[in-house]
Amino acid sequence: MTAHEVRDVIVVGAGVAGLAAAHRLKEAGRAPLVLTSGRGIGGRCATWRLDGQPVDYGVGFLHGVDPELVAAIHSVGDATPIPGWPRHVEGRGTPCQPRAFAPQSARLAYAEGVSAFPKWLARDLEVRRQTTVERLALGDAGIVLTLASGEQLCGRDVILAMAGPQAETLLVPLVEDSDEVDAARRLLAMLGALPSLTVMAAYDPGTPEPPFEMLYPEDSALLQTVAHDSSKRKAPRALVLVLQALPRWSRAHLDTPPETWERMLLDEAGRLIAPWVRAPSVTRTHRWKWARVDAGCELSQPLLIPLGAGFRLGVAGELFAPGGGVEAAWLSGHRLAGRMLESRPS
Amino acid sequence: MTVPVTSLQDLVERDRDHECEGFGSAKVCVRVVGVAELPTRFGAFRIVGFWNNRDAKEHIAIIKGDVLGADAVPARLHSECLTGDVLGSLRCDCRDQLIMALKKISAEPYGVVLYLRQEGRGIGLLNKIRAYSLQDQGLDTVEANLALGFRDDERDYAIAAHMLQSLTIRSVQLMTNNPKKVGALESYGIDVRGRLPHLIPPNPHNRFYLETKANRSGHFIDFGGKPRLTEQHDLVMVDGMPDALVEKE
Ligand SMILES: Cc1cc2nc3c(=O)[nH]c(=O)nc-3n(C[C@H](O)[C@H](O)[C@H](O)COP(=O)(O)OP(=O)(O)OC[C@H]3O[C@@H](n4cnc5c(N)ncnc54)[C@H](O)[C@@H]3O)c2cc1C
Ligand SMILES: [Zn+2]
Ligand SMILES: [Zn+2]
Repeated sequence: MTAHEVRDVIVVGAGVAGLAAAHRLKEAGRAPLVLTSGRGIGGRCATWRLDGQPVDYGVGFLHGVDPELVAAIHSVGDATPIPGWPRHVEGRGTPCQPRAFAPQSARLAYAEGVSAFPKWLARDLEVRRQTTVERLALGDAGIVLTLASGEQLCGRDVILAMAGPQAETLLVPLVEDSDEVDAARRLLAMLGALPSLTVMAAYDPGTPEPPFEMLYPEDSALLQTVAHDSSKRKAPRALVLVLQALPRWSRAHLDTPPETWERMLLDEAGRLIAPWVRAPSVTRTHRWKWARVDAGCELSQPLLIPLGAGFRLGVAGELFAPGGGVEAAWLSGHRLAGRMLESRPS
Repeated sequence: MTVPVTSLQDLVERDRDHECEGFGSAKVCVRVVGVAELPTRFGAFRIVGFWNNRDAKEHIAIIKGDVLGADAVPARLHSECLTGDVLGSLRCDCRDQLIMALKKISAEPYGVVLYLRQEGRGIGLLNKIRAYSLQDQGLDTVEANLALGFRDDERDYAIAAHMLQSLTIRSVQLMTNNPKKVGALESYGIDVRGRLPHLIPPNPHNRFYLETKANRSGHFIDFGGKPRLTEQHDLVMVDGMPDALVEKE
């Protein structure tokens, strides 16, 4: 095996879960290295810049009830919180997360986009982007990660923080080494995740402002939500809507060309809102194969699996705390780090 | 707050707007919302319904005799188990344990069974079924079971402590086989006067406890080859089982 650097902790996935874990470990004096496949930070807590204007195309706003999470989302530096967003909700369809509208739940967005939260968590962290982990193996000095580039890294503690099906794939080669890993992999296979096809649509100046900030259509077989994204921005140059398709419909169209489903979703939004919605000036699509956990499929806490000679494999992510979503992702990472520190302080 | 409490029924009025700091790290707060007679095949009890202000879960106390202000009340904590308690599942011993507890308190002048409604701890029944499914595949692992929500004792003891306090019970004799559980309850300010072992009689379904040893993860393997998870708060003790098997927890 090639010589490789041995790290204290390696976190795979710079979503909210991985960053929450790395942040807490770092605060406690550990030296986590975060690896993530994309160019950006935040995973599904995602903001795109459409002609420079932020557009949230994953989760549309943050919400939660846990006091620590609520404090964390309210203390993001370099961001302008928009408390209570969405304040004007239309339609009686089911929100992605009905709990978001429970009376005790705090809600907020940021003028800079929801990715301000993960970026803030990452502010002091060593993050290597565009770095995809392809394979895990148990080595003599720790858990060996083989990257897409062929490079190998080694961590005494490794945390996987990503969507369930992604973690499941990475666990496969370790199944032989541990019944715990085998059980974890089979467990993840039982849980799955819901897809969502997403269209960002920008409209020319002078387009009428829709009256809602968030629309949950009750009579659509296609659309779950239409977010009036530009209502979160300080001085938006363009009116921007974000259309997100229902899981069932998304699953049926996952493998069809984006032009096809984009057209269908825009037409549907036009039918629901007004004819002008059909004809945006700029669009961009995103295919979330694993957008979020299905209700009833969440676990209650993250996994921390002992491996080999004192090495540990942690698994966190939105699946690993009740309720799913950003709150669960954050809690799972935060709790996993807490557990790791308890049993092996720096 | 000076509603005089002379009967269980008064607790409902007393707790009308009850809110407190809460017990434990989850800041559990419960209040009494209803009291009624509950004749059962195991004896005549009263049932006290509690509402958990924090997580909107319901809990109940099954009460024998006059426990208000009483000392050294025999008390048993039982966690809801739909498959065992109601359906008679043989994957656990919950039903035997519940029945024993009810029989035992009905034979005493007074006693209480705290029945905690949080199946599978928080996430519930579905995750318990997933745990069983893993067992069926030959996997009974600590971490998966934890992730599936088996056992959050800390929370259960916090709820139990608040319930006992709401019932104005001054001290209890805890029905448990695990001495550590006494400390768990005491840490919430409950005066535990002693421990009553909780023995269940042998029957054709639990006889393997008398014959086999616990496996690596501390679980017994039943006659069907399936591990028997400890779904209640302490290890099962079947009458006649060697003590050594129990004390090790
Ligand atoms: C359309 C949509 C709507 C949503 N609505 C809501 C909502 O209303 N409320 C709510 O709370 N939540 C909602 N969510 C869910 C929320 O966004 C997620 O639960 C949360 O962001 C997940 O965080 P995470 O850290 O668990 O995973 P992720 O954000 O997925 O982070 C994992 C990261 O790991 C990277 N990665 C994966 N595999 C590898 C690998 N092998 N090597 C390197 N890197 C890897 C990924 O690229 C990603 O960046 C929504 C999500 C979507 C997509
Ligand atoms: Zn209270
Ligand atoms: Zn049971």
